[in-house]
Parts: sequence; structure tokens; C-alpha cells
Amino acid sequence: MSEGIKRRDFLKVLGVTGAGASLVGCSTDQVNKLIPYVVPPEEITPGVATWYASTCGECAAACGVWVKTQEGRAIKIEGNPNHPVSGGALCARGHATLQGLYDPDRLKGPMRRSGDGFEPISWDEAEALLAGELRSAGSASLFLHGATGPTLTDLVSRVANSLGGQRVEYEALSEAPLREAARIAFGRNEVPVYDLESADLILSFGADFLETWGSPVEQARGFARSSGVSEDGGKARFVFLGSRLSLTGQNADNWYPIRPGSEGVVALALAGAVARQGGDAGPYGDLVSAYSLDAAAEAAGVSLASLQELVGFLVEAQAPLVLGPGVAGQHRGATAANLAALILTAVSGGVGTTLRFAAPTGGFPSTPFADVVETISAMAAGQVRTAVLHGTNPAYTLPPASGFADAFSRVGFKVVVTPQMNETAALADLILPDRHPLEAWGDSNPRDGVWALQQPTMQPVPHFDSRAAGDVLLSVARQLGVDLGAETFHDYLRNRWSERHAALSLGGGNFSDFWREALRTGVIAAPTTTAGSVALQAPDRPLAFDPPSLDGATDGLTLLVHPSSRFGDGRGANRGWLQELPDPVAKITWHSWVEIHPDTARDRGIRKGDIVRVVSPHGEVELPVWTYPGIRADTVAIAMGGGHENTGRWADGRGVNPMLLLPSEVEQPSGALVHLATRVDVIPTGRHRRLATIEGESQTFDRPITPAVQLSEMGKEKDHYGDYGPLREFQAMGGFVPVPTEGNPEDYPLEGARYGDYDPANNARWAMAIDLDKCTGCSACITACQSENNIGVVGEDQILMGRDLHWIRMERYYETIDASAPGPLDIRFLPMLCQHCGNAPCEPVCPVYAAYHTPDGLNGQIYNRCVGTRYCANNCPYKVRVFNWYEFSDVPEPLNWQYNPDVTVRTEGVMEKCSFCVQRIRRAENRATVEGRDLLDGEVAPACQQSCPAEAIVFGNIRDPESRVAQVSKNDRTYRVLDVLINTQPAVNYLRKVTFHPVKDIHV
Amino acid sequence: MAMASEPVERGAVTHPDIKSYTEVNTDILAMLSRPGKWWWILFGLSVAGIGLLAFSWGNQLINGIGLSGLNSPVGWGAYITTFVFWVGIAHSGTLISAILFLFRAKWRQSIYRAAEAMTVFGVMTAGLYPLIHLGRAWHAYWLFPYANQRMLWPNFRSPLVWDVFAVTTYFTVSSLFFILGLIPDIAAARDQSKPGTLRKAFYTATSFGWRGTDRQWHHFGTAYLFLAALATPLVLSVHSVVSWDFAMSIVPGWHATIFAPYFVAGAIFSGVAMVITLMVPIRKIFKLEKYLTVRHFDAMAKLVLLTGIIVFYAYLNEFFMAWYSAEDPERRMFWNRLFGHYWWATWIMLVCNGIIPVMLWFKRVRHSIAALFVLTLFVNIGMWFERYVIIVTSLSTEYLPFAWGVYRPSVTEMGIVIGTFGWFFFWFLLFIRLLPPVAISEIKEVLPPPMRPKKEVAR
Repeated sequence: MSEGIKRRDFLKVLGVTGAGASLVGCSTDQVNKLIPYVVPPEEITPGVATWYASTCGECAAACGVWVKTQEGRAIKIEGNPNHPVSGGALCARGHATLQGLYDPDRLKGPMRRSGDGFEPISWDEAEALLAGELRSAGSASLFLHGATGPTLTDLVSRVANSLGGQRVEYEALSEAPLREAARIAFGRNEVPVYDLESADLILSFGADFLETWGSPVEQARGFARSSGVSEDGGKARFVFLGSRLSLTGQNADNWYPIRPGSEGVVALALAGAVARQGGDAGPYGDLVSAYSLDAAAEAAGVSLASLQELVGFLVEAQAPLVLGPGVAGQHRGATAANLAALILTAVSGGVGTTLRFAAPTGGFPSTPFADVVETISAMAAGQVRTAVLHGTNPAYTLPPASGFADAFSRVGFKVVVTPQMNETAALADLILPDRHPLEAWGDSNPRDGVWALQQPTMQPVPHFDSRAAGDVLLSVARQLGVDLGAETFHDYLRNRWSERHAALSLGGGNFSDFWREALRTGVIAAPTTTAGSVALQAPDRPLAFDPPSLDGATDGLTLLVHPSSRFGDGRGANRGWLQELPDPVAKITWHSWVEIHPDTARDRGIRKGDIVRVVSPHGEVELPVWTYPGIRADTVAIAMGGGHENTGRWADGRGVNPMLLLPSEVEQPSGALVHLATRVDVIPTGRHRRLATIEGESQTFDRPITPAVQLSEMGKEKDHYGDYGPLREFQAMGGFVPVPTEGNPEDYPLEGARYGDYDPANNARWAMAIDLDKCTGCSACITACQSENNIGVVGEDQILMGRDLHWIRMERYYETIDASAPGPLDIRFLPMLCQHCGNAPCEPVCPVYAAYHTPDGLNGQIYNRCVGTRYCANNCPYKVRVFNWYEFSDVPEPLNWQYNPDVTVRTEGVMEKCSFCVQRIRRAENRATVEGRDLLDGEVAPACQQSCPAEAIVFGNIRDPESRVAQVSKNDRTYRVLDVLINTQPAVNYLRKVTFHPVKDIHV
Repeated sequence: MAMASEPVERGAVTHPDIKSYTEVNTDILAMLSRPGKWWWILFGLSVAGIGLLAFSWGNQLINGIGLSGLNSPVGWGAYITTFVFWVGIAHSGTLISAILFLFRAKWRQSIYRAAEAMTVFGVMTAGLYPLIHLGRAWHAYWLFPYANQRMLWPNFRSPLVWDVFAVTTYFTVSSLFFILGLIPDIAAARDQSKPGTLRKAFYTATSFGWRGTDRQWHHFGTAYLFLAALATPLVLSVHSVVSWDFAMSIVPGWHATIFAPYFVAGAIFSGVAMVITLMVPIRKIFKLEKYLTVRHFDAMAKLVLLTGIIVFYAYLNEFFMAWYSAEDPERRMFWNRLFGHYWWATWIMLVCNGIIPVMLWFKRVRHSIAALFVLTLFVNIGMWFERYVIIVTSLSTEYLPFAWGVYRPSVTEMGIVIGTFGWFFFWFLLFIRLLPPVAISEIKEVLPPPMRPKKEVAR
């Protein structure tokens, strides 16, 4: 055969090899069955999301939410824009509620105690058992529950009453001192309504109003609106007086590191000084005049001049707002300190403008810790035969010194209703799996005039045989012969609302129309009952304002136990998203730490990461040190929320529970738990660990990263090109001219940097503007992004190796921070996400075009094409590319139910990064195309923008001069990170932070 | 006659102790006979190394690249360090065989064969790393421009694609050059091996019918010259391209125009040092003192000295340019190199590559085989750390200080790095046992031609 291979043979060979290759290519280890709907359910269109309005059940703020469900699964939760509390935004904890819904550690079914363990029983048995025990207990029954919404509380109350039993409501994070102070000062036993938005001076004596205190999302919005510089140059000053900078404190313009416990004295002295300049202290005139600034300066450990400056601020302010110590600062004189703050507000004219009261809502105010102490003694005395606990975890949140565990064991029959195991349930005789708030009916009344319903957004997750607490109570009540007029809690809720609808004449047509509308919008417009003006009243009891006593040796360090902005009182600890969310202050994940000032640490020979024993007279814990310049040298701080023993795989054994260090002491007269009670000794153990932190270095070294501008310097032109004169001259003479580096962001990528399919003439230029004067660093965007984009949780080991997977990194740089004396405070936040550079360094280096420029100017990342050279990440100056070192998307069932079907789930070995939520862009574009119109400005909101409580992020097509992003970016404050250095032409425009003090001028 | 003692004679200068052509054949081919204890020990260690490599890499393939210590921001670490290290090692072979051939350097004949083998095996070792370090090694073929239905091509703007071409070209040419040069010597081995043995069959096949005719020698010479000319630019281009993996990026510490010459000099520096490191024990074990004379080592040591000076100049130049740039990211990165987290690696590099080779200015050092062996070991270590310093320190402290991070090599990475040394020595040890490690025919070229011994004057 001298002609060589024949065409026919060649094709044969080709065919065989091709078939072989395709066989290999198509083979798969798993053969999964695809079963289509036999009978398609109504209201479900595959691929089209259904949204339900509901209420977030994560904390007492009760934000209104929209829940996105697809194919019958809740996959994303967002703030309800119509709801006055959330205003469309949500915090990180709110987003993570989905991980509570799909938590694989939820209880599988009802369980009864059997020896040391539990055995499963049926719901019928469980309810019969509970009914029997309650019947035999009668008036010796106890209902202990958390803040659960007005109607459920009402139901519990009626069931308890019908038995003659007792009902106690207990929330670990209590505002009782403030309520008591408000009662003394204004005769109103409730939390005042604070208007941060209209304030022009905000003083906080410790209240962390951006994190856990009050209603963080609403307050963050108000704070950002007042403290973010407005177009006319107005900007509220925020002064933080406290021993430790919480995230809220980090946002302050001035920091007065006052001694813990000195708040009352300082506030009264300030009030006295303001009163002397014309402020009216009413019946407290004598009191405030008794406190001199000198003495206050002495007590607080700050200079007199600094307090005089503060008086100046207060006198000048039109609408000052003063907040007392928050939960962390709840010391033995907390009520007095709160009262002093209220007096200061009143003296400086804040009452009626920034502080007001609504009419009492008729709700059940949370009963304070004092009631729980009584309950514990009743239990210890054997007076409680059957206890039903719901929505609270006292075995964890109470200091062990309270003796709860011991007293609880003396209760004849202990029932815990909870969606998942916790420390209290582990002690119970009967555990009833509760529904998650996203599966159950309920309602909320976070403040006067604001009501919202909570409706199930999906069928209960089938992996868990759960029943709603309300349904169980109704069923048990029926078995006890109590008729509450409803079969199910849904009916009960409807009945109650029917009554309320009639009583308050809420309108909206007949009740069923009203009901439907309320469910649709998620908000009930109840009339706001203005309570008229309030004025200071004479106190009905004497209070001591002097710094309170502390336990422990006098040379010890004052211990601050503060609520965690990630876990609150600890209830969110079993959520990977929250565990892995870098703490907004410490940037640490997964474990506890104790904050110590670097000087104190140095004096004691302690380094960052050293494991120390923190010993109080009441207990001790062991944990690593994080040195923090934002804490007084005589104070240490530990966050709540760690050290779970019986909650689930992501929480157990992680960190420590600082409540072990606290005494069980009731603050008088409010009845709250004393949080700031003791001094501690910090003893090095000689061991060391690496902190699971994402923090590299917290200084910018004056690089063009987070420049700021002084308020009084705004709008003044600066010549930054002075130094570049010779270069310009050289270039003008025909010297080497590189690719163009100067141009407007709407023209990016500039001529000379255009590659690939990018076609600026026919496409949008998607861009973002982030106002760093508004950003509070709260990190809600990070979890929102994680939820929207199926971003994996990598775990502590991986974080220790430096492998976090978040698409947004909340960078935090210390610019000016001094814990030794009052002064300006300047901490800069920088949410760093993919900059979608016009001239992207990642694109040319990718050998396989996995990183490439899309025709509409996005910086695309094609996961399926990525081979994992990581060259793009090396070359990314912003370090926003994250790598799938393992198969992080492989999560335990049913957590995978949360995955967004519009976003690829990434496999191991591929790079990923922020996509500007390209799935949302495409969805909006498709909708516009279908409806035959152009895309509207604001129609596309990435998850981060959507969630931002501070409204700091704007997204849109910057090429459209009318778009908001173009308008916002047209600002003297606009700059682009590192662009001046490396000509990346980013699509993210940052607006400089504005300060009151002079700042370094950095060329950007 | 007085001729034999005249220094003008070629062979007498390079190899004064070799007496005849036969002696060359006997001595060199003796290396191919039964291996000694040491060979077996070394070979066993190499095979164990391959086992370690197979286990570590297999584990990494199954469980994920996460088994390395790499992270964000340090996306490249020990793997790419060792890749560049081996590519650098692979340089001297072609330099010695091709460039010195073209320049007619008289001292190359004894060492070039082993150096070439080192080149080929060095590239084979280096070539593993681009696969090893990938997140999805099974898709590595996407880096090649192969015809496919979806018209997907690699990105020709990416230095990694240039790398693919540079390294594969270099491997192809240096292998051809290596194999071509071997043909006459394999034929010699074939002629000496026992008929019917496996060896005989192997040599018969790989000598491609060489008979040593004039015609064959003529073609051989032309082909050899041609390949030498083809390989010469590659010596410069391969490592330039490898350096552009770094220089084309915008990472402070990588983005520098000096990188190509700096890397080429570094490659020759490390490559020649590695040749010395390998030749010293071979010379000792196989008693090749006649072939590898002090003069050869002296010449190589001078090359090490020269390239070492260039490399050290490049280090100083980098530090100067960082200061001169007046940009904080550059300045601070270089400051961190010297005094930051990885100060020790930088100082190892500076001492091993900058300070220790200074001793080569002394003739006594250049003429002491033991001293050279120790010294080049330091150079090898220093050059590995040079790449480690360039890659890791640059990535760990880039533009955004908040994103700075520290990389620590993992057990898997160390296993693979050590394992690839096993892989390299596996091939190298097989080579010295199977193929003539010293060029028989070329040594003969520089020996005095065999003359009939002068007969005693008849009485």
C-alpha cells in the first residue's frame, strides 16, 4: 500500500478515537434521576422567583423582609423597602437566617429524655405528654420565653393564665436600664424613639447602635444619612465616649476614652456646663450643677480641655442626640448612667427633635433579669413542676453564677421548644422542634406604628419534623380543655388581627382584603399615636451617679463583655456564614479573642496570639489575645456568642463564653443583668496560636487607598501634578508615552486598553460608587453577597492558611487612634471587591481566557474554563480574587437548598470573584427586552448595594449621564483605589471619607 | 621526538593523562558495566523519591490543591520556585554543549554530555510543575493551541502560554541535540556489548545504524552544527520567557525590565554550579580524573564567578531601583524582603549567591575539587531561595496592606519538591548507567591522533 492511508481509513480511525474520547468525556460517577413535576404546582414557574414579605426573626428589631423563593425553596432574604425599620436593607445576621432554616443540625423530631440521652417520640405522644404534665402542674407551671412577637406572646400569656401558671419573658440583651431611666426622667417606661437622621451631633456613651443595640439597620441608615456629608456640606459629628471602640465607636469623629463607669458623672457634668450656658435642666438643675467638669475629667481620666471642647459641640448643636451605655456598659449604675444621658439630651435641647416617645403600644415589655432571678429561686425551691421554655437559651446566656442549671434540674418536667438543640434543651425532659421563622406564622411590632406579619415562605424543610410553637400550644390547650377559638396558630393570628383591625379601624377594606394586602406588602400601616411632648420630671427615687464598684483586685483590668455583632447573644453561632464573617472590629473569624491594648500587652509580656487565662472572681476562661489600639489600657473586652457546648457542628467548642466571668447580679433599680461588673487578671499560659484573621496590615503607608478630605477643605482644588512636571515635559517632547492613563470613568477602558470583544459604543459601562463617608464597616454586604452568589464556607483551618472565599473584603485602616487621651478618631473602611477594571491586570495573564472582558465591560470569570494557574490572583493588585482550594461547595444537606440556581456552584481548583451580580444584570436586561423597553436606572442592584444599611453603594451604567451612579461619581471626593499608581481604570468609584480634623493629602 | 612534550598539541593540553583512543573507549564504557553499591543506594533513594512524588501528587489530585500551603495573596510558592529552579538548572547543558561548541571552547568535551543530560532531565522535572501547581491539572491541555470545535484558543497575551511554547521548544531541541550527539557513542557501546543481551538490542536500536563512515560523519557534523546554532538562542530565550512570567505582571518586585538578563545569568549560574555538583561525585566514583581535569573545573568555576557577579549586581540593582522608584509599594516590598517575615530566605540568597562565590576569585579554591563541590552546593541552595524570595516575598506584601498574608509551604509541597529531586536523579542515574556519560568521540577529537609508535632504530 504505497499510497499511504486512505481517506476512508482515516475517517474510521478518527471516528473510533472520537467516540472513545466522547465516551470518556461523558462518563460520570453519579447517575442522578431527574423527576419533573408530574402535577406542576400552581404559582411555581421553574426558574422564576416568587417573593414573600415576612419578618426577620433574628433579633428584636424585627426588620421587614422579602424572601426570595425559587422552586419552593427560600434562597435569599432581603430587606423590605416598604418597611420603615429595614428600609430595604438588612444586616449580616438577617441574611444568615437562611442558614438557620437549612441548618443540618436542626432537630429531626420530638424527643423525650431517656437516661442520659434522648429517644424520638411522635408528635401526638409529645403533645399528650406535655398536656398531661401541664395539667398535673396547674399553677406550678412556668412559661419562659424570649421576644417572640406580640400575638404569640399573647397566646402564651393566655395559656399560662388558663393554668394559673407564670409567664416570664427574658431576652439576654436587655434595654431595661434605659427603660427605667426613661420612666424616671420622663415618666415613660419604654425605650425612646431616637432620630439619628436629623441629629447634627451624636454622643454615644457606649451604645453600639450600629451593631446590636436597638434597631441596628434602621439606626445605621439614620446615622449614615446624618453623618455622611450632604451636598450642602452638612455633616453630623459623632463623638464616642467609652473605654472600647466597638464598630460603632470606630465610626466616630472624636473618641473620648473615658474610664468605664464614669459615664454618669461625665454626662451630668456636661449637662451642668450646658445648663450654665443656657440649657434647661428642669428639676435636675441642682443635680447637674453639683457636677463640675473638673471632677468629671478626673473621674473619666480625660483632660478638662477636652470636655470643654465637648461642651462647645453640645452648645452649638441644633439637634444633639445622646445615647447611654449599651449592654456592654451595663454596670451597677447603668440606670443612673442612662438617666444622665437622657438629662444631657434634654438639657442640650434634643427632646422633641432627636428623642421622642411614641404612645405605649400595648405590647408586653420584656421583663428584665430580675424576674428571671426570681424564677430561678422558685425553680430551686421546687415550686415549679412543669417549665416550658421557648425562644430563649438561659443555660447559655446567663452567668453560671445564677444557678440556672441547678435550679432547672429541680423542675419536675422540663420542656424546651426550639428549632435546634441548645444548652438549655440538653437539660430538658422533652424537646419539641419548633419551626424556623421562615416556615411559621407570626407578627411583629418593633415600635409604635409599625406592625408586620410573618408568614411561612415555604413548606417546612422536610428533613425536620417540626411544628410551630403556636400550633403546639393551641393543641395542648385544647387537650387541657381550654378553647382559644382557633385550630391553628394561623387562625389564632387571623382572629387577633381581625379584632385589632376593627379596634384600630385600620382600613384597607374588609378584613380579608386588609389581610391579603398586609401579607402582600409585609407592612401594616397602623396610625402612629403621637404621645405629645415630654419633659423632664423630678426623680422618684435617689440614684447614685458615681462610678460603680467593680469586683476583683484593684490592679486588675476592667472586663467588658459585649454582644457580638455577628452572633448577638450567641444564638447565631451555628451558622457558617456568621462564624466566617470577619468580626467587623477584630477581623477574626471562628474563635473568641480577648482585646487588650498593645501597651498593656507589652507591659505584661503578651503578644498577639498568646493564649491567656482571664480570671475573674467568678470564673475563668482561656483564649488568645488580640491587641487593639481601640481599647483603654486598663480594660479588656470579650465578645459574647462563643463557647457553645450543645448547639451544632459549627458552634460547639468554638471560642469561649464570657458570661462565665460575670457575677449574677441585678442592676438596681432596672433589674437588668450587670455586665460590667468585674476586674480580671490576665495570665499568660505560655501557649500561642495563630489567629484566624483576615487582617494583614492595618496601615495604608499613605498609598492611594483610602484618602480622606477635611470638611473645611472640601472643594478646594489641589495641584497634584507638580512633581510630574519634568515627566510631562519629556512626554511633550515626544518622549515615551505609555497607554493613556487619564480620562473619565465613563470612558474606561481608555483607548489603548481595549481588548477582546469590548465594544464601548453599543454597551453599558457597569460601575459602582461607594461613599466611604457613609460606609460603617458593618459587613452586611459580605454576607448578602455570600448568600446571593453561593459562596462557600471554608472553615477555621482554611482561614488560618489565608484562604477566605468572600468576594468582598472589608478593609479597615487605622489612621488616627489614641486610647490614652481624647482626640480625633480616624478609622477608614474600604469595602474591597472586584474593581472590574477597564485595563484589568488579571485578563491578559490568564492563559485560557477564563478571565476576560465581556462585551459590556464587565470583568468576567468563566469558572468552567479556569484551570487554576492563579496567575490572575497574583496579578490582581486589589487581591479580590479568591480560589477554591477544595470543593467548598460540597455542603451537608439541606444547606444546599439555599443555593441560588442563577449562579454557578463552583468546583475545586477554580478562581472566583465578584461578578457585579451579573445574574441580576442579565435578568433585568431580559425583563427589559421582553417588555420591549430600555433598562431603567436602578433596576439592577447587586446584593451588596441592596443590603447596605448605610445606603453607601450605588450601581448602574455610568455611561448614562442621567444615572445615579454617574451623578454620584461626579463629585470632588471621587477617586479610584490605586488607579493613579497602576492605571487599572476601575469601575468602582470610591468617595472619600470626610473628617473634621486635618488629614494627609494623598494623591489619588 | 620532541613533539609529545610540546604544549601546542591539542590533546596534550586538555587531557594530558589519556594515552590512547582505546583507553577512552575502555574507560568510558566501563561506566556502563555492573553498577556499584553506591549507585544502587542512590538509585533506591531516587525511586523512593518518585514514590513520594507519586503519593503526594496523587493525594493532591484527589483531595485538591488545597493540600499545598498556597493562599491568597501568595498564589505561587514552592512549586513555581522549583519550576524556575529546574528550568535554570536546565540551562547550562545547552550553554556548554551548544554555545561553547560554536565558540570552540576546548574544555567542553568532557562535561557536555552529562550537562546535556542534566538539561533534558531538568526540563523534564521542571515540566512537571506547571501541571502540579494547577487547580485542575486534568485540564492542563487547554493551555495548548489544539484544534477544537468551539474555536477556543489559548490567550497568546499570557506569559504562561509563552512559557508553554518556550519550555516545550527547549525540551524538544535539547533532547534532539542530546540524542544526536549520543549516536556515535552508543554505536561504540553497541560494538562492545555482548550479542544477544538486552543492552545490545537497546544500543542497536538507539544507534540508528551508525557505522562511522565518512558520509555519516559528514552528515552528523552538519546536523550537530545546525542544532547547536538552533539551540543557542534558546538558551537566552527560555529563561527570558520564564522571567517574563514575573516581569510582565504588575506585582512589586516582579515588574522589572532587568528580569530577563538577570534570570538568564542566574540560570547559567545555577546550571553550571549544578554541573559541578554532579560531576564531582561522578568523577570520584568512576575514576574519571583523567577526563575531568582540574582545568575543566577551573573553567566552569570561572563561569560561575562571572554569572554570580552579574546576579549579585542584579540584586543590588533591584534594591536601588526600588528606592529610586519613590513608590511605597516597591520600597516597602524590598524592605520587607530584607527585614520582613522572609528575611531569612533573602539573607540565605544573598550570602549563598553573592558572598560565597567571591571565593572563586582565588585560584586555590577553583583548583580544589572539594571546595568547589561545597561551594556549588551553596549556590544551588541560594538559587532555589532566590526564586523563593522573588515569588513569595513579592506576593505576600503587595499593594493593599490589609490583604498582606504569609505563606508557609505544606508537607505535601515539600514531599513533591523532594520527590522531583528523586525523579531527576532517577533519570540521571539511569543515564550514567545506560548511555556513555562522557562523549567518547569528541574526547578523541581533542586527543593527539594515534600514531604508530616510532620503531627503535634497528640495530
